[in-house]
Amino acid sequence: MSTTRHLVNRQRRLATVAAERATSAAPARGPETPDVSRDEPVRPAAPKDTTTADEAVDDDDPAEAPEKPEPRGGRTSRLRVRLPAVLCALTVLLGAFAAWAFTSAASLRDDPSRQNTALTDIGRTSEVKGQIADAVGAVFSYNYASPAASEEAARTHLVGKAVQQHKDMLAQVRAQGQKQKLVLTTTVTDSGVELLDGDRARLLIFADQSNTRTGTSEETTYAAAMFAVDAVRRGDTWRISAMDTFTR
Amino acid sequence: MARVRMTRNPLMAAAVVLAVAAAGAGAWGGVSWYDASHDDSAAYAQARDEALAAGEQAVQNMNTLDHRKLEKGLDSWEDSTTGDLHQQLVDGRTAFIKQIQEAKTVSTAQILSGAVTELDDRAGKAGVMVALRVTVTAPKGKPAVKESRMLGKLTRTSEGWKLSALGQAPVGNTAG
Repeated sequence: MSTTRHLVNRQRRLATVAAERATSAAPARGPETPDVSRDEPVRPAAPKDTTTADEAVDDDDPAEAPEKPEPRGGRTSRLRVRLPAVLCALTVLLGAFAAWAFTSAASLRDDPSRQNTALTDIGRTSEVKGQIADAVGAVFSYNYASPAASEEAARTHLVGKAVQQHKDMLAQVRAQGQKQKLVLTTTVTDSGVELLDGDRARLLIFADQSNTRTGTSEETTYAAAMFAVDAVRRGDTWRISAMDTFTR
Repeated sequence: MARVRMTRNPLMAAAVVLAVAAAGAGAWGGVSWYDASHDDSAAYAQARDEALAAGEQAVQNMNTLDHRKLEKGLDSWEDSTTGDLHQQLVDGRTAFIKQIQEAKTVSTAQILSGAVTELDDRAGKAGVMVALRVTVTAPKGKPAVKESRMLGKLTRTSEGWKLSALGQAPVGNTAG
């Protein structure tokens, strides 16, 4: 039923188009006016017909859609105007979001608490703790029987400012070591990584020192030490670059 | 029609390219931001820094006491602690007040350095070590300055990290 009506409708519309062509062509032809007068009764009839119930029914038929060129043409031209505007708005919005996201991510990453990988980098943290504890034990130990060992330890474990600091700290021990037969042993009891950032680290060290004089009568004194060390990683080994004994 | 196409198409093409580029940048930025804000190690690092800040503050509070402002000082001690340590302070409060009122001492503490030694973010437990300088002023004599090596255990509570244990690092028998 719908198909037949639609066919009828189409024929009517084609007829209208033909009529329109005829009318528009007519003035060019000039003298031949009878054509217009003959077509006239057909023309008003056609638009009247297309707006009847037939057309309304056809609208619901999806097959009819491609047959209506007028509204489609209007939509595309409107799209042509709107699409660049929509794209521009989209560009601005997405660009603004991207800018926000990148700056936000960068500020999150630059957060000093993230730069510091103490404890978060388990491997590095235990590596620096172990190596620095050994280094502290080695450089702050002295045996009158082999004074060269402490110097050798200093060469291996110290770098930069720490070399002179260590020399000053052990000056007295070295001066009296032979005479008093000193044995100084330092053991790190607690250490914590305050800061770990790539090849730099700072550690807080609690250490016990036992000082044994075997010169006249054997006598051992214990001392508690606390200090912070700055460490740098050279190659595969951490070295002490500075020491802070919290002196006022 | 042909002229309209020629003027519109490069504009459209540019608009499309820009929009696609912006979408790409937006997606990349979004992923980058998501990664940065959902980083597990960052949350862990933040917990570490919070634990250290709370631990240092608590250790300082526990080493600060003015006999003229005893109630306030002891309240701060109790606020800084939790668990057994907190209970000990509450139980010993009366005796301690009497002791300090007789001694009339003023103690102030300065944090020299501190580090987190262990952190279990899930269990809400942490260990801190703090190098401290304590100055005790008695009514007579010069103020006594001593350096103190503190080891503390922290427990996370609904009000943040609090000390559940605190003591001096032991000296003497480990070396040699």
